[in-house]
Amino acid sequence: MTDANGHNEDDIALAGEYVLGLLPADERRAFEARLRDEPRLRVLVVEWDERFAALADEAGEVAPPPALEARIERRLFGARRRRIPWIGATLGGLIAAAAIVALVFFAPVGPADPSHRAEVASEDAELRLAAALVEATGEMQVERLAGAARPGRALELWFIPEGEAPVSLGVLPEAEDYTVTLPEPLRDRLAGAVLAVSDEPPGGSPTGAPTGDVLATGALDTVG
Amino acid sequence: MTTRAEIEDLIARIKLRDRDAFSALYSATSAKLFGVCLRVLKNRAEAEEALQDVYVRIWKRADAYSANGYSPMTWLITLARNIAIDRLRARKAPAEDIDSVPDLAASTPTPEAEAVAASDRRRIDACLDELDPERADAVRGAYLDGESYRDLAARHDVPLNTMRTWLRRSLLRLRDCLSR
Repeated sequence: MTDANGHNEDDIALAGEYVLGLLPADERRAFEARLRDEPRLRVLVVEWDERFAALADEAGEVAPPPALEARIERRLFGARRRRIPWIGATLGGLIAAAAIVALVFFAPVGPADPSHRAEVASEDAELRLAAALVEATGEMQVERLAGAARPGRALELWFIPEGEAPVSLGVLPEAEDYTVTLPEPLRDRLAGAVLAVSDEPPGGSPTGAPTGDVLATGALDTVG
Repeated sequence: MTTRAEIEDLIARIKLRDRDAFSALYSATSAKLFGVCLRVLKNRAEAEEALQDVYVRIWKRADAYSANGYSPMTWLITLARNIAIDRLRARKAPAEDIDSVPDLAASTPTPEAEAVAASDRRRIDACLDELDPERADAVRGAYLDGESYRDLAARHDVPLNTMRTWLRRSLLRLRDCLSR
């Protein structure tokens, strides 16, 4: 049996099984050998990939922990990325360096003016966090004022857009003060958003949604 | 929301070793791809490892993208899913008779592939809805959770060959529906 495009049913099903990763090893190798010579079969594979990719929506979006991007860049590029590549060994560089010195001396201490702040606290106030967000860059400084994870457990920070499911901002590090970057798609959803901290297994929620108790919450309010 | 053209542009710049484009692509797509890895692996630490591998591969293999006929998000999603499934299979019993998932097919863009790039979630959902619910569930399990025939047969409590017959028939019905 062949369809309008001249594909036979066996090949259509085989290509689908191949894309789904279902073929036994020997059949997979035989299929790959044919793929090299049969462009028509490759078209079937691309078609199935395109169609199934739409299903990936079901997996939902989960922000990876903020430190992951730096880990990837270290793996690829070695040392940490230079943040101020425009300082060269030129006269211009000297002027720029002078400007930075001026900035360091005259800029107010702390992050650029935050646009939003949140006090995230448990009911008994044993766990308390303060967060300050700069909307334009998504940089959010998080300070742990009180509390820690239970032994063998972790604390995970969540961003909850109004009326939507929580999005993970990663596990709280041991440090009392750290900065996380709010992913770009979330920066449009600050109005009515809430920050929350949940109790999770080490490494954080395995499902992408909070699995343990929500220990503390706090609304993200605009400053001023 | 980043458009298809923007993602294509970023991939093209990554091909030219543009690190800013790489960083921008990460911002635009990492939550989606992490969702895919997490769904397959159901373990945060492993999903983080997988996601690192995904972006390392994107940086190293960006030049393969334009030649293979995929729309940009499909390329990224397929890469992420395949890497996550390889990791899942490696974790399971080594006796598993399926040793790996496919590499992406390399082919020149075709009108057919272009046309399917426009197909969306609603379309595949509607077509899966036309299948018997158990069979639609098996197709979803294979794609989203990386389940093998053995997993699917066990979960649905049918012999492996029966599961394979079901699934192959479902794929044919699915394709009929999708090409309507």
